[in-house]
Amino acid sequence: MPSKKSKTKLFILVIVPLITLLTGCEFMDIDKDVFVSMIGIDKSDEEDKPYKITLKLYVPTSSFKQSPEPQYTYITKSGETLSEAIRILETYSDKELEFGHAKLIVIGEDLLKEHKASEVMDFLLRRPDIQMISWIAAGRPSAEEIIKMVPQGENAAYPALFNYFDDIGNESQYIVTTYLFDFRRRMVEEGIDPILPIIEKNTSHFKINKSLVLVDKKEPHELPTLYTGIFNILSMNIQVADLIIKEEDGEGEAFIAKIDSMNSKHKVIVKNNNNIALEIEVRLTGYIAESKHPLKMKNLSYYNKLLEKVAKEKLTEFFSEMTSVGIDPIGFGIDYKSRTLHNKRMSSEEWKEAYKNAEIKIIIHPKLKSTGAIQ
Amino acid sequence: MSSLETINWINEQFKNTNELVQKNLEYENKHILLFYIKSLINSEMLQKLIIKPFFEMSSEEQFNLYLQALPQFQEVQSKEQVHLEIMNGNILIVIQNEFYLLDFKLAKNDKVNSTSVETTIHGSQLALSDNLMTNINVIRSNYHQASLSVEYFVKGEVNQHKVAVIYDKEKVKNDVLDIIRKRLQKVDKQLITSTTQLGNLINDSRFSLFPQMIMTERPDRIVYNLAGGKVILLVDGNPQSIATPVVFFDFMTTMEDNYHTLFISLFLKILRYAGLFLSLLLPALYVGVTSFTPELFRTELALTVAGSRVGVPFSSFIEVLFMLFFMELLLEASIRLPKAVSATATTVGGLILGTAVTEASLASNIMVIIVSAVAISTFVIPVNEMAFSIRVVRLLLIIITSVFGLAGLVLGFFVLIMYLVNLDSFGETYLKIYTLSKNRKTTEEKT
Amino acid sequence: MSRYYYYLILINMVANVIASVPAILLHNHKNGSVSAMILAVVAGTILITIYTRFFIAFPGITLPDLLKKTTSKWFYNPFIFFLALMWFVAGLITLATFSFLLIRFLTPEMPLFQISLIIILSVIFGCLMRTERVLYTIELILLIVFPLILYIFFKAYSNESLEWDFVKEAALYVNQFPNIHSFSSCFFLFLGVVNLFIFNRFFTKKQNFNWKHITLIGFISTLNLFTTYFIPIGFNGFENIDELVYPWITTSDSLRMEFFMIERLLFVFLLFYLGIAFLSILIHWHVSFEFLKFVFNLEKIKFKGFKIGKYIPIPFFIGASLLLIGKLNEYQLLRYSNFFYDTLILFFPLLIILFIFIKRRMKYAKQEKQN
Repeated sequence: MPSKKSKTKLFILVIVPLITLLTGCEFMDIDKDVFVSMIGIDKSDEEDKPYKITLKLYVPTSSFKQSPEPQYTYITKSGETLSEAIRILETYSDKELEFGHAKLIVIGEDLLKEHKASEVMDFLLRRPDIQMISWIAAGRPSAEEIIKMVPQGENAAYPALFNYFDDIGNESQYIVTTYLFDFRRRMVEEGIDPILPIIEKNTSHFKINKSLVLVDKKEPHELPTLYTGIFNILSMNIQVADLIIKEEDGEGEAFIAKIDSMNSKHKVIVKNNNNIALEIEVRLTGYIAESKHPLKMKNLSYYNKLLEKVAKEKLTEFFSEMTSVGIDPIGFGIDYKSRTLHNKRMSSEEWKEAYKNAEIKIIIHPKLKSTGAIQ
Repeated sequence: MSSLETINWINEQFKNTNELVQKNLEYENKHILLFYIKSLINSEMLQKLIIKPFFEMSSEEQFNLYLQALPQFQEVQSKEQVHLEIMNGNILIVIQNEFYLLDFKLAKNDKVNSTSVETTIHGSQLALSDNLMTNINVIRSNYHQASLSVEYFVKGEVNQHKVAVIYDKEKVKNDVLDIIRKRLQKVDKQLITSTTQLGNLINDSRFSLFPQMIMTERPDRIVYNLAGGKVILLVDGNPQSIATPVVFFDFMTTMEDNYHTLFISLFLKILRYAGLFLSLLLPALYVGVTSFTPELFRTELALTVAGSRVGVPFSSFIEVLFMLFFMELLLEASIRLPKAVSATATTVGGLILGTAVTEASLASNIMVIIVSAVAISTFVIPVNEMAFSIRVVRLLLIIITSVFGLAGLVLGFFVLIMYLVNLDSFGETYLKIYTLSKNRKTTEEKT
Repeated sequence: MSRYYYYLILINMVANVIASVPAILLHNHKNGSVSAMILAVVAGTILITIYTRFFIAFPGITLPDLLKKTTSKWFYNPFIFFLALMWFVAGLITLATFSFLLIRFLTPEMPLFQISLIIILSVIFGCLMRTERVLYTIELILLIVFPLILYIFFKAYSNESLEWDFVKEAALYVNQFPNIHSFSSCFFLFLGVVNLFIFNRFFTKKQNFNWKHITLIGFISTLNLFTTYFIPIGFNGFENIDELVYPWITTSDSLRMEFFMIERLLFVFLLFYLGIAFLSILIHWHVSFEFLKFVFNLEKIKFKGFKIGKYIPIPFFIGASLLLIGKLNEYQLLRYSNFFYDTLILFFPLLIILFIFIKRRMKYAKQEKQN
């Protein structure tokens, strides 16, 4: 036990610097911060200031119950670099800009077409206060327009755009969700290409059903709605998907298969001479949701065959486009890398060539379990 | 010891009071002399047991034997004892140059109270009384063990109160008992009026933030503690007892834990610990989040907090301290006030202050919610003394957080744990994890 | 073995998940980190076994006491002083790493001086506690902190975004010659056992240590190393993983809690890892204090009748660590800790020779006593 007197002395030793610090500490209250809700990055028209940043800021109200209408302010600035633009933006606001709550980053399509994605990413990652779990998307026609739009019926504290991306709200099969950390690893890694959802603007609402695959030194490749859906099925991003099944001769069966559980595996099979085959195995389990003609329970195996056929066709279409363009959002490249020792791999050029000429093997396990509540 | 000399000495001692009665009884060659203080003795008993037989007995011999047979009889060892016992309500009888003391104490405070501090739904509703003998009676009739021992000390130079040290000889740790005896010897206070005061006096660490003895008024808790090998201290004229040595977890258990089924008592325990953490950390967390790390909470919550702080003129830690200050005032006021008025105090404080403060935007809505949550969760802590300590520690944590942010809060909390671990209660570590295997080992060692 | 023994080992392992060890490992991700890790698990487990066996033979006796009995003063005093410095540096590395982390991610406005001061102040009084109380503190804080850290690990493993292809790709780099820096930093994870130098004081009863315990330690350490190295790769890709300064911070920020009050796991991770870091510094500096106490006989120094001896190192600790943290930058910290770990792989195996010497002398002394 230390004696009492020395204890009090020690106490004083601790307390005195504490109190002196207290007077000089940086104390910053939450109401002196203004939260950034979304960040939009665009290409600007000025030559010397290529970047244009738009920030959507929450306006704090004393009670969200009393004012259910959302209120935002917007600030926009061009700059030679992104941080310069941010630095100037900070002078536009009376409060400290707080980036920690920015959940969505929209990059203008023009900027992506100019291959500026890696500069943007470098800026986003270097700032420690930007979340790695913020969503990243491409804005069409520009990020600014997307950000400045407030659709009707939006909640005060939760912008409508967020609902498209979090798993709790909208679960559409055509929305690709890309987190910032996922975007980063796809950017830096060879063998998997970054994919971004495209946010489009209608008169009163958003439209998100396409996606954009970025490729090094090439024009970004846009995936149409159908391919976006297929990508989502293959990457198992979604829980539920609809597939339209139609027999070719117009007269035959036409129904919609609702897939409520899916499982997909992909692997690269290396043959000799740098030839590869891509093997995709998809398990689709579900039921029939809508049909033109009455369906018979006993014909389920036939419907399953139909499903298999249609799915195979569509997937083959999808992959032949992927391989011919040379984009790889699914990640066959890293699958290949995870199978071969690093010193026995083919070089990246060889791989690209092999990927373009790859043979595609698709195996579908259709499992339609019922025709729905009616026959 | 010659009788005349002693009588003179006694008269000398009591010459400053006019309450000492000296009665000379003489009848048929029997002769006794009685000394007593009138206000302290039961005169009905005196009449029935002494005076009536005196006139009925045939000889002084017989009366002498009769007196010695009485249960209240006590042998006299010294003059000082006579003095003390007369002050305690004994009657001194002088017969045939022999001195006898008879306990005819009249105690008007031996009614057993009902529990007021530690109220429970299950179990006995009766507490201790103000009378030491009654209390020991209560304890003994709840704890039927021959090994239960009671040691008496007289403490307080002026008021000469009786102190009882009660323990189970087979279960108590001897070194703890030695420490208590030693410290009791050292106590040289003029006035001892309550058990908790005595407790503070025999504790070595005056600056300790946490209680090192547990105060209880419930006989079942006393018995539980006795069976756990603890030492109980009782002071005459006090309806509370203190038990020692204690560990931190003692303060977080109520007797009802044993009366409920397992899951219910587990649920209540979780509730209690949640309350403890909440009341300790919530205000400091508010300061840390609003002033240093607004990114911590999810966006909706952060916006709500930021929104509710719009227009509040103070920075967050002043706001917290301000509201807590009023809450503490309210708490103190409702303890001191008579029961009839205290309801008004709560209404004024809770309703009027609470709503008016937010209306006037002196504090945010969320702050009012936090303060009331803190107040309620403080009451969940079952032992009052611990709740007091928590209230003080809470303030310290707020101060640390307002200087160092959330890291300060976390580290401050760890330092609190470290402090508790470093504390001793009569040789026992105050806070540590006890495991079953360890207990088994110690019992093996004993046998 | 007593459960407190495992705490010593566990904390050293877990504490370094956030510190420079994964940074060093990932820096050499293409130069033999995987093979170095495997090698380190084997070497580390052997070292733990030898050290534990040695101290079990002398229950309740610390290394300074043993040295005092068996060697002469000119040797043991400088030697123990050197050990004290070493332990101080070990604590300082954790302290500096954490100060930088907190500044970067939790409270960017706060000066570095202030944040390191609060860590130092909170730890330093713990260092003065008795050894057994230090262990009790460790147990309690672990009990609070550890379930949440396990939860974070669980959350990471169960996350859909964890790409196992990256992990496999990284694991395929096993066929390389082990990298010395990776090996030394992994080896450091196993050095929690050397805290027995002082903490053996607590283990007064004869302990039982057999292959079961060794397997358990080996298992835990493999799991820990695997998590440390491969989870950041699974989340951040393999190719440019070395550009991340704090791989685990980035990883924990990639996790999301959908339904809780706190959405970003990063802050939970930071605040709870602060507990582990706190314990790690506490252990190291407690050992350092005890060594200093022994070398300078601090218990006996009195001033006006008060024993002030044991407070003497406090200002030195505070001053030295504040000074060094002020001077270092992140890169230097990484390099110097790398250098520190490198020296340790030579030092601690060499100590085994000293142990053999001590064991012989003790045996000899025992025999003499019997005669």
